[in-house]
Amino acid sequence: MTSIAITPVRPVTLVSRIAALFPGILLLAVVGYAGKFIEQSINAYTKAHHTPFPNIEFVLWAIVIGLLIANIVGIPRIFQPGVATYDFWLKAGIVLLGSRFLLGDVLHLGGISLFLVAIAITLSLTFMHLLGRAFKLKPKLTSLLAVGSSICGVSAIIAAKPAIEADDEDASYAIAAILALGAISLFTFPLIGHSLHLSDKAYGLWAGLAVDNTAEATAAGALYSDAAGKVAVLAKTTRNALIGFIVLGYALYWSSRGEAKAVGNKVSFLWSKFPKFVLGFLLISLLATLGFFAKPQLASLANLSRWAFLLTFAGVGLRTSLRELGKQGWRPFAVGAIGEVFIALLTLGLVYGADHYLHL
Amino acid sequence: MSNIPDPPRRAISLDTFAVALALVLALLVRLNLLPPIKW
Repeated sequence: MTSIAITPVRPVTLVSRIAALFPGILLLAVVGYAGKFIEQSINAYTKAHHTPFPNIEFVLWAIVIGLLIANIVGIPRIFQPGVATYDFWLKAGIVLLGSRFLLGDVLHLGGISLFLVAIAITLSLTFMHLLGRAFKLKPKLTSLLAVGSSICGVSAIIAAKPAIEADDEDASYAIAAILALGAISLFTFPLIGHSLHLSDKAYGLWAGLAVDNTAEATAAGALYSDAAGKVAVLAKTTRNALIGFIVLGYALYWSSRGEAKAVGNKVSFLWSKFPKFVLGFLLISLLATLGFFAKPQLASLANLSRWAFLLTFAGVGLRTSLRELGKQGWRPFAVGAIGEVFIALLTLGLVYGADHYLHL
Repeated sequence: MSNIPDPPRRAISLDTFAVALALVLALLVRLNLLPPIKW
């Protein structure tokens, strides 16, 4: 299971580059809407026939349809540039989701998340390095797996790769392992959450702290409930905000060993790695708190965010190739998997503690 | 080990475009230039 190799298409002008995105975006919309249609149809059928059937969110249907298309038919080249925009829709959706949070809630839950993230990152980075040493992985591959599983998946690996001068092979192994594990957690987290009877807030916080990729964390939260999805995005956004500091730490470590270039201006380095959508999220949340939007307008913004996420969830399925899994080495995957289980248990413990002592 | 003074100037990031799109949409909603968005 890994990212589908996207053959670069090089249209000449900006207009043709934008035009090249349309088929793939249309595919995202069709797959996402098909998921929504299936959810609504099942609900309508079970209601009309008084048949007891659990509500399966469109998120799961969209991901499954995407997975089936990507792994049975494959994604034709014409759709690939547009499918790759799923991450863009995710970021836009998160910014718009800011309208559903009062700034006070962001600061309260964000503060708790930050506290838990700091503990989780410290312990999980240490654990991942011990694990990497035990499995005799190359140190830089271990570093990439550690940032990927502790902070924010693929984005963290992409941000860290040039900073620590890791090679392409290590980065692609780490990305493949993180994506595979992200897909697995997407299906296992909601099941575990339900079996432990976690509240929406506790589950959302857990998903946001433990699931690696932002898209998967958002989907894992939304699969549980709408409220859990909101909290998962907030916790994950807090985690994402720390990416620059961790990558800077690694860059300084590897440069001190003479195996990476020295970092010049640290503030500029931090800013270049900082996920800008976090600022957009805070700005929209601030505007909503100040009463800049009327109630129906807030509902429109929340729905726009849902539509953006619909495209994202379709992309999560479409970019996951099960066939590629066999081509990856087992050791990076094993280190990632053991690390993920450790992080999931650790963050679950932290969430239980926070729920008890900090009153979520 | 060479010293890099500053990261090179790069094209605008995807994040920035996503934030810009979201803010434009929010403004259009605020000014009632978009019809109510349904789900």
